[in-house]
Amino acid sequence: MSEQNMIEVNSIEKRYERKIALSSLSFVVKKGELVALIGPSGAGKTTLLNLLASLLEPDSGELKVDGKPLSQYADRRQRARKIGLIRQQFDLVGQLAVIHNVLAGRLAEWSLLKSFASLFIPQEKDKAVDALKRVGLEDKLYERTSNLSGGEQQRVALARLLMQKPEVILADEPVASLDPARSEDILAMLTGLAKQENQTVVASLHSVEYARKYFTRLIALKNGDIFFDLPSHQVTEQQLQELYQLKELN
Amino acid sequence: MLSFDLHKRKLLTAFLLLLFAWSLFGVNWQEGVLHSSGLGTAMEIFAAMFQPDLSADIIRLAVHSSWITLAYATAGISLALILALVFGILASGVLAGGKGSRKMMKGFFRGVLGFMRAIHELVWAWLFVASFGLTPYAAVFALAIPYGGILGRIFADMINDVPEEPIQALRAAGASRLQCLFYGYLPSVKASMISYTMYRYECAVRSSAIMSFVGLGGLGYQIQLSLDDLHYDEVWTFMYFLILLIILIDGWSNMLRKRMAL
Amino acid sequence: MRKRTFNFTTLSVLAFFLLIGASWYQVIGVEKASLASLFSNDNLQYAKKFFSGLFGIGQTEVAFFNKDSWSDAFRLTIETLQMSIMAIGFSTIVMFLTVIPAARNVADGSLTLTRKWYRWIVFGLIRISYIFSRAIPELLWAMIVIFIFKPGILPGAIALALHNFGILGKLCAEVIEDSDPRPVRNLASAGASRPQLLLYGVLPTVLPKFLTYILYRWEVIMRTTIVVGFVGAGGLGQQFKLSMSFFHYTEITLLLICYLILVIIADYISEKSRFFVK
Repeated sequence: MSEQNMIEVNSIEKRYERKIALSSLSFVVKKGELVALIGPSGAGKTTLLNLLASLLEPDSGELKVDGKPLSQYADRRQRARKIGLIRQQFDLVGQLAVIHNVLAGRLAEWSLLKSFASLFIPQEKDKAVDALKRVGLEDKLYERTSNLSGGEQQRVALARLLMQKPEVILADEPVASLDPARSEDILAMLTGLAKQENQTVVASLHSVEYARKYFTRLIALKNGDIFFDLPSHQVTEQQLQELYQLKELN
Repeated sequence: MLSFDLHKRKLLTAFLLLLFAWSLFGVNWQEGVLHSSGLGTAMEIFAAMFQPDLSADIIRLAVHSSWITLAYATAGISLALILALVFGILASGVLAGGKGSRKMMKGFFRGVLGFMRAIHELVWAWLFVASFGLTPYAAVFALAIPYGGILGRIFADMINDVPEEPIQALRAAGASRLQCLFYGYLPSVKASMISYTMYRYECAVRSSAIMSFVGLGGLGYQIQLSLDDLHYDEVWTFMYFLILLIILIDGWSNMLRKRMAL
Repeated sequence: MRKRTFNFTTLSVLAFFLLIGASWYQVIGVEKASLASLFSNDNLQYAKKFFSGLFGIGQTEVAFFNKDSWSDAFRLTIETLQMSIMAIGFSTIVMFLTVIPAARNVADGSLTLTRKWYRWIVFGLIRISYIFSRAIPELLWAMIVIFIFKPGILPGAIALALHNFGILGKLCAEVIEDSDPRPVRNLASAGASRPQLLLYGVLPTVLPKFLTYILYRWEVIMRTTIVVGFVGAGGLGQQFKLSMSFFHYTEITLLLICYLILVIIADYISEKSRFFVK
C-alpha cells in the first residue's frame, strides 16, 4: 500500500435545518484502502458520501481528493477520472440496453457526436464486452436493463465503473436492496476489482459482518461524529455493541 | 379536516351547478329555438344516417378525401413532433446550468408553448391562408403549431418527471448535460412520448378534417359541399369514412400502447 | 413473446415514417405546393397588408381603441362563456345518464355481481354512440345542428356537447372500470340493492376523477367555442367570421384578444379547481 493520501477530510460540518448531520469530521484515506462506513441509520454516512461526491456542499471545512480541494474539480472530465459513484440499484437508465448503460462510463471522454452515434452503433464495443465479462454478464449485452434482476443491475453498475476507471469509488449502500447471497457476490466483486485496479473505495454499509469481511478499515459514525476508526481486524464486539446501542438503553 | 374536504367538494359542485343554470339564461327560449322546418330537417338527417350514398363515384371521392385528410394530419404531426422535441426539451430546463437560468428558460419556453396551443388550429389556418393564400402548407403549419405546443408541454412535463438518481449517476460518470439528455432523459420517456403522440395523432386527423373550413380540401370540404346541396346521404358517407379513419388510428395506437407497456 | 412485441413496435414506427413520407409527397409532389412560392413578393405584400391591418396601422377607426367595440366584445365574451358552460353541462348530463352501463365491469356483472343478458347490448349501443360522437369534430356537428336550430349560442353549445359527451363518457367509463371492486362486493354481501351499490360504493370513489375530467374538457371546449361560432353558432366566433368577411381587421384583433383572455382564464380556473378538488 502506498503512502499517498487519496482523500483528506478536514473538520467538515453539515447541518440540515437545525439538525447537525456531521460535526467537525476529520480523517485521511490512503490510496488503495478499502474503507467501510458503518453506524446506525441517521449517523451521517450518506451525507458524508454525498459530500465526497459533491452532490452536497459542506457548511464548513475542507475536502481534498488527491491533494486538490474538491471544489477545484469543476471540469466534469477531471472529476470523472478521479471519482466514481455507485449507489442502490436505481442508478441505471432502465429503458436503455445494458451495453449503453455500461458505455455511459465513457461519456466523460466522448464527444457529443460520438456518444450520440453510439446509441445506434455502439462504439468501443469490445471494451464494454470485456467489462461485462469481468462481472459475468457478457450474455446480456443487448438486454433491456430494467429486465435484469437487482443483483444483475448492480453488476452492470460495476461494469460502468470499470469503463470509467476512477481512482476513488464511492459506494452508498451498494447492496441495501439485495438478498444476502447477491450482496456477498457484489461486495466481493467490488472489492476484488478495486484491488486489481489499485482503486480506493469508500463504502457505506449497514451490515458490520460484510464490512469486516470485505474491507480493510472501518470508520464508525454515530450522531454525526466518528465513533471509532480502526483496521477491521482490530474492531471488538464490545465496540460494535456500543455503536448500535439504542439511546434508551444507556 | 376530512369534513372540511367534503364541504369543499360540495361547495364546488354547487357552484358549478349554479354556473350551468346561469348559462341557460343566455338562450332566448320564448321565441323558440328551432327553425320552422327544423324538426323535419332533423328527421331527414337522421333517416339519411341509415341510408348513406354508396355509389362508386362517392366512394371513390371519399377514399381520396380521406387520404388528403390523413396526409395533412400526418405531415402536420410530423412537423409538430419536431417543434415539440425542440421546445419541449428547452422548456424542461434540463439543459440549463444554474438554478436562475433554468427558471428563466423554463418560464420563457413554457410561455412560447402556451401561446402556440392557446390559439385554435382553425384560427392559425385562417391566419396562414390570409397571408400565404390557399396552399396545403397552410393546413400543415396550422396543425403543426398548436399540436407542437400541446406535445411540447407534455414532453417537458415527462422529462421533468424522470427520476433523479440515474441522471445523478450519469453526471457522476462525467456526462455533460446534452449527454444526460441522450443517455438519461430521452430513453426514459421515449415510450410515453410515442404513446402520447399517437393519441394526439388521432386528434390531428379530426382537426385536419375541418381545415376545409378555410377552403382547404379533404373530408370536411366534401361534407360541406354535400350539406350545401342538402344531400344528407352523401354527408353520412363521408362521415362514416371519417369515423372509420379515427377508429383505425385509435386501434393502432391502443395496440402500440399495450405492447409498449409490457 | 418479447421478440414479437419488439417487432410490432418497430413495424409501427416504420409504418409511421412511411406514412410521413407519403404525406409529404402528397403535399409537395402531388399538390405541387412549393415552399419558395410561400415567400414570394406578392405574398409578402399580402401578409404585410394583413398584419398591419390587424394592428390597425394607418387606419382611422381602430376597434381596440374604441369604447363601444370593447363593450360589444365584452357582451360576446360573456355569451361565449355561457355557451361553453352550457356545452359542458349538456355533455355532463348525457355522460351521467349513460356512463354506468358503458363500463365493461358493469356490463359483465363483475362489479355489481348480477348478470343480465341485455347489459351487453346496452353497453355496445352506448359505446357505439360514444365513438360516433368522438370521431366527428365539433365544427362538423355544428354545421349539421345549424340546419335544425336557429343561430345563437344554443346550437353552438349542442354541437360542442355532441362531440364532448363521447369523450367524457369514454374517459369516465374507464374510471369506473379501474375502480376497486372490493368495497362494492362488500356492500353487496351486506345486502345493498343495485342503486344503493352505485350510490354508496361506486360514485364516491369515481366522482373526484369525473370532476377532473369535466374541468379538463371544459378547458378544451373554451378553446373550441370560437370554431363553432364560425358557422353561425354565436359568440365570439360568429362575430369573428363577420369581421373577417367585411375585412374589419382591427375588430378581429380585439376579438382575438378577448378569446385569448377567455382561454387563459379557463386554464387558470380549471387548474385551481382541480387543486381544490384534491
